[in-house]
Amino acid sequence: MQRIFQIDGEETECWLGHDGSRFVLNTPNGTVACQLDPTGLPGGYTLRAKGVVRELRLAVGPEATFVHMNGRTYEVGRVDPAERLAGSDGGTGDDRLVAPMPGVVVSVAVKPGDTVEEGQPLLVIESMKLETTLTAPRDGVVAEMPFAEGDSFGLKDILAQLAPEEE
Amino acid sequence: MRRIESQIDTNAADYKANYAAMSERLKEFHARQHAARFERPQRDIDRLARQNKLGVRERLKLLLDPGTPFLEFSTLAACREYDGVVPGAAVVTGIGIVQGREVAIHANDASVKGGAWYPHTVKKVVRLLDVALENRLPVVHICDSAGGFLPLQHGVFPDRYLGGRVFRNQVKLSQANIPQIAVVGGHCTAGGAYVPTLSDYNIIIEGTGAIFLGGPPLVKAATGEEVGVQELGGAVMHTSVSGTGDYRAATEQHAFSLAREIVGQWKRTPKTIIETAAYEEPYYDPEELYGIIPKDRKTQFDMREVLARIVDGSRFHEYQPDYGTTMVCGFAHIWGYKVGILANNGVLFNDSSLKAAHFMQLCNQNRTPLVFFQNITGYMVGREYEERGIAKDGAKMLMAQGGSVVPKFTVIANASYGAGNYGMCGRAWDARTLFMWPQAEIGVMGADQAANTMADVKIRQLQREGKELTEEEIAAIREPVLEKYKRDVEAYTSTSELWDDGILDPADTRNALGMSISASLNAPIDDPHYGIFRL
Amino acid sequence: MTISKLLVANRGEIAARVLRTAKARGLATAVLSHVAEQEGPAHLIADEIVMIEGPTPVAAYLDIPQIVEAAKKIGADAVHPGYGFLSENAAFVAALEEAGVTFVGPTSETIDLMGDKVRARAFVEEHGFPVAPSAIEDDDPASFVERARTVGYPLLIKPSAGGGGKGMRIVREDSTLETEIETARREGVRYFGDGRLFVECYIERPRHIEVQVMGDGQGNVVHFWERECSIQRRFQKIIEETPSPALTPEQRDEICETAAGIARAVKYRGAGTVEFIYAQDGAFYFLEMNTRLQVEHPVTELVTGFDLVAEQLRVAAGEGLSAAQADIPQTGHSIELRICAEDATADFRPAIGDILLLDEPMGEGIRVDSGILDGGKVTTDFDPMLSKLIVHGPDRAQAIARARNAVQNYVILGVTTNTGYLDEILAHPDFASGDVSTGFLAEQSETLTAPGEDVSDLLMAAAALSDERLVSDVMQIPEMHRKMGEWRN
Repeated sequence: MQRIFQIDGEETECWLGHDGSRFVLNTPNGTVACQLDPTGLPGGYTLRAKGVVRELRLAVGPEATFVHMNGRTYEVGRVDPAERLAGSDGGTGDDRLVAPMPGVVVSVAVKPGDTVEEGQPLLVIESMKLETTLTAPRDGVVAEMPFAEGDSFGLKDILAQLAPEEE
Repeated sequence: MRRIESQIDTNAADYKANYAAMSERLKEFHARQHAARFERPQRDIDRLARQNKLGVRERLKLLLDPGTPFLEFSTLAACREYDGVVPGAAVVTGIGIVQGREVAIHANDASVKGGAWYPHTVKKVVRLLDVALENRLPVVHICDSAGGFLPLQHGVFPDRYLGGRVFRNQVKLSQANIPQIAVVGGHCTAGGAYVPTLSDYNIIIEGTGAIFLGGPPLVKAATGEEVGVQELGGAVMHTSVSGTGDYRAATEQHAFSLAREIVGQWKRTPKTIIETAAYEEPYYDPEELYGIIPKDRKTQFDMREVLARIVDGSRFHEYQPDYGTTMVCGFAHIWGYKVGILANNGVLFNDSSLKAAHFMQLCNQNRTPLVFFQNITGYMVGREYEERGIAKDGAKMLMAQGGSVVPKFTVIANASYGAGNYGMCGRAWDARTLFMWPQAEIGVMGADQAANTMADVKIRQLQREGKELTEEEIAAIREPVLEKYKRDVEAYTSTSELWDDGILDPADTRNALGMSISASLNAPIDDPHYGIFRL
Repeated sequence: MTISKLLVANRGEIAARVLRTAKARGLATAVLSHVAEQEGPAHLIADEIVMIEGPTPVAAYLDIPQIVEAAKKIGADAVHPGYGFLSENAAFVAALEEAGVTFVGPTSETIDLMGDKVRARAFVEEHGFPVAPSAIEDDDPASFVERARTVGYPLLIKPSAGGGGKGMRIVREDSTLETEIETARREGVRYFGDGRLFVECYIERPRHIEVQVMGDGQGNVVHFWERECSIQRRFQKIIEETPSPALTPEQRDEICETAAGIARAVKYRGAGTVEFIYAQDGAFYFLEMNTRLQVEHPVTELVTGFDLVAEQLRVAAGEGLSAAQADIPQTGHSIELRICAEDATADFRPAIGDILLLDEPMGEGIRVDSGILDGGKVTTDFDPMLSKLIVHGPDRAQAIARARNAVQNYVILGVTTNTGYLDEILAHPDFASGDVSTGFLAEQSETLTAPGEDVSDLLMAAAALSDERLVSDVMQIPEMHRKMGEWRN
């Protein structure tokens, strides 16, 4: 029910309600009772809101809605606040990579002291006939790479350790 | 369906006196509710902020659909216990809307004693889960609790309907195919760990949420192992190592956004269909109830006037209007739902009992939910009535009421004394929700009567010992008993003890009933079947 | 020699426009296309589409061997280059000649001459036509800086091989002259592969006035009157009109005859435009000659009633000019607006997006030369100009009113365009009074890009109610609960 609308670089968080007879858009500045009816022209609608009736042409893109009204064209970005939050899983990265099962180290890409970026490959392991590349869980500096190429490791062994993040 | 024609004169002196008295009461009631919901010592607010936690009301705001109602149960639970320092019994329960679905909410209030479980907390939570079971409502748990309040563990742990019943109800909900989700925004320790683990889904908030059967101090004491909260039961561990946690949320906002997304994909089972009509606001202003409800509990008033301010369009189809006139029976609509209403206009006689029993059978056959408005001081006593079989007739009413398969809802509108409470679907009789009005009273008999009876016993005992008592001495025996009794029958006592689901401002009754009826239709209605009516 | 099959070596709106005339003249038609092209009007008109390849789409359109090969392969006996791309590339003309394909345009010698700004300037001056005081580096590189000084300040440093406003630097103070010369040289190498420079006196508040000429290659030239193109942003025209509101009839005749004279002097063949810089005191100086059809040619067509592409094809086919000077009227007033995918409030940064809805204005006195179709896509592969809106009215005021009406009703949704900005220009009192110079847009930029009426509530309401997912989320809340709103007991 909530949307963040972006107009000219400004964001406004609103929620849409329907009180049983009409739609009401709730904005931080107040409520706007509103109604949108098609007119038969391609993308043509009549908007009734705030005591005015406006003829407009409207097109809905995947991330923004485009409106032509009173001789001017506008773009309204739409963001579902939930989608913004969804990206924030994996907030605090780990400091280390832990072996998910026993295996052998195929190759090591970094050494202690190297600065790495989140997602950067640190080493390649082989387990159950499958090779997997393990990547850095966050930006940081490599503190330890306990295993070398050819070494075997066990379940839960620490395969890479990053230096603790400075606050 | 015809409108009730009101005879109330809003300019009459007694109307105005009633209105003033009720307004006073409501001022106090709203103030107490507000305090119980929102007023907390600054140090508790600061503590939550330090712990990087949102308060329970802010969490509910993130969870519930904007622009939707929330029917909160038992706000004033424990208001007369523990010196009043455990408002709401440290937990918020009720029925709200999440992603268009009716859900039952169980949310610890960590701003009250860390969200600890007091005996009244347990009772409130068990009641909420019973509501969920009876009405087949999915449950959202918001967990943030310091655990059982140890000094009162005997009231929290051992008995059948205490702590264990919470988890037993969770199992039964799951068994009945009713989904539950837990958002862990604080500690779930020992028994509390079962709330998220018995839920179908759970979300743990990083940094604040933790689940463990034993916390770090207990582990250290038990085995000497030293381990921190996060390692022992934090979000990262449970969502990546033990698999106890389903989702790890980086922030509170993220957690409730996830919870909404999960609830949003729960299947919606079709609701039970009952008769409905187009919805209408009552023709008379519900606030007129304040002038109709008498300021003195003993004053008689016509329940039809009350109904006229609650039902749709003030329309009421009365059943057997000329027979058994102390029982008002009839059909009406509330928020469009057709209901059968029973309301007291005096004590119950043989005829009123029989009429009620028959009416309830009609409603059961027609799949019409029942709404009871109680103002009952008892069944009629006396030889004539006994000879006519008033006990049998009362029993028939109980058989019909107790054997009803349709959802039942009760509003204790004024008096609720003695067996009349039973016939009119009191707490023991499985009303889906039961609310009290602020001036209502509930007890085995009226305060004066009880005080007199108990004082009488004492006086006669002393007389047998040869003592003759003066007026003052009699008063000295009667008065304290009367005072205590008066307090014991008050709505605040009932709501403190969770003998009801909350006190309502009478003007809110319509919405509370509407939400209750709507919630109840998530469960099916059986075919009518009764025990034996002693004829 | 007749032309029976024409290949248009261009794209977008100009390709469509040229194809339209070619088809009307009964020619078989073909157009180039690249895999990065969106389907446009040109693809719907041409009989044949010839795919070309290149490391970038633009590179494909500059690939002479590939294009000449294409023309030969499809049996085209003539190629129309449009504007931009290879339209002023002498090597292209030579390659086509060698392949026996007619180039619709001037000779490679003319292109060579006029393409070198220094040579062109010298030629024009030799023949007695007015040029602005200047210093040419080539004349004597050693004394260039000194001679530059004598031109006087403010002066303009320009790359010899340049054009289109690129690489030019204004110098107002002597102290910065030498550093600016170095910078201009570096830019000349970067943009044009040629670091040679010349310096011209910089005219303050100039107007840009150009004259459309047409020659038969035998020395016969007519002019099709002038165009005023002073409304420019970043040295690029976005509004052009004819007649120029600044000229008296005498000045008009003088400028147009000067242009025709210059074209006669080179025995010009085909369509060309002589550009002048016009000073506030009425003096005018030769700026450059564009040896191709220009973007803004439609305004000339609407006031004269001639189809300039048809004239080009006649000349290319050896049929000569279709009219004498006396037969070319200038009736009414015409204005062209260049509709570009760009954000006028963000320094005209090019915009991209999908064309979700296109509704071009129509009606009396309205012409749209469009390069886009509904459902197309705008990318950074090509120039941001999407189309041209050209209007004609009985006089300037009515033409402005018609242009405003048309651009306000020009619906392009899905990509940011300059339609609102163009309307603001048309509405500006200085534009209405005709009191502008080439600095007008820069000077008035704050006024022209000022935020308009605050309609954000209306926009959010429209965006919310047309968001189907949002609406269905709301409507899934049971009606009773919606009616109760945020009730609490």
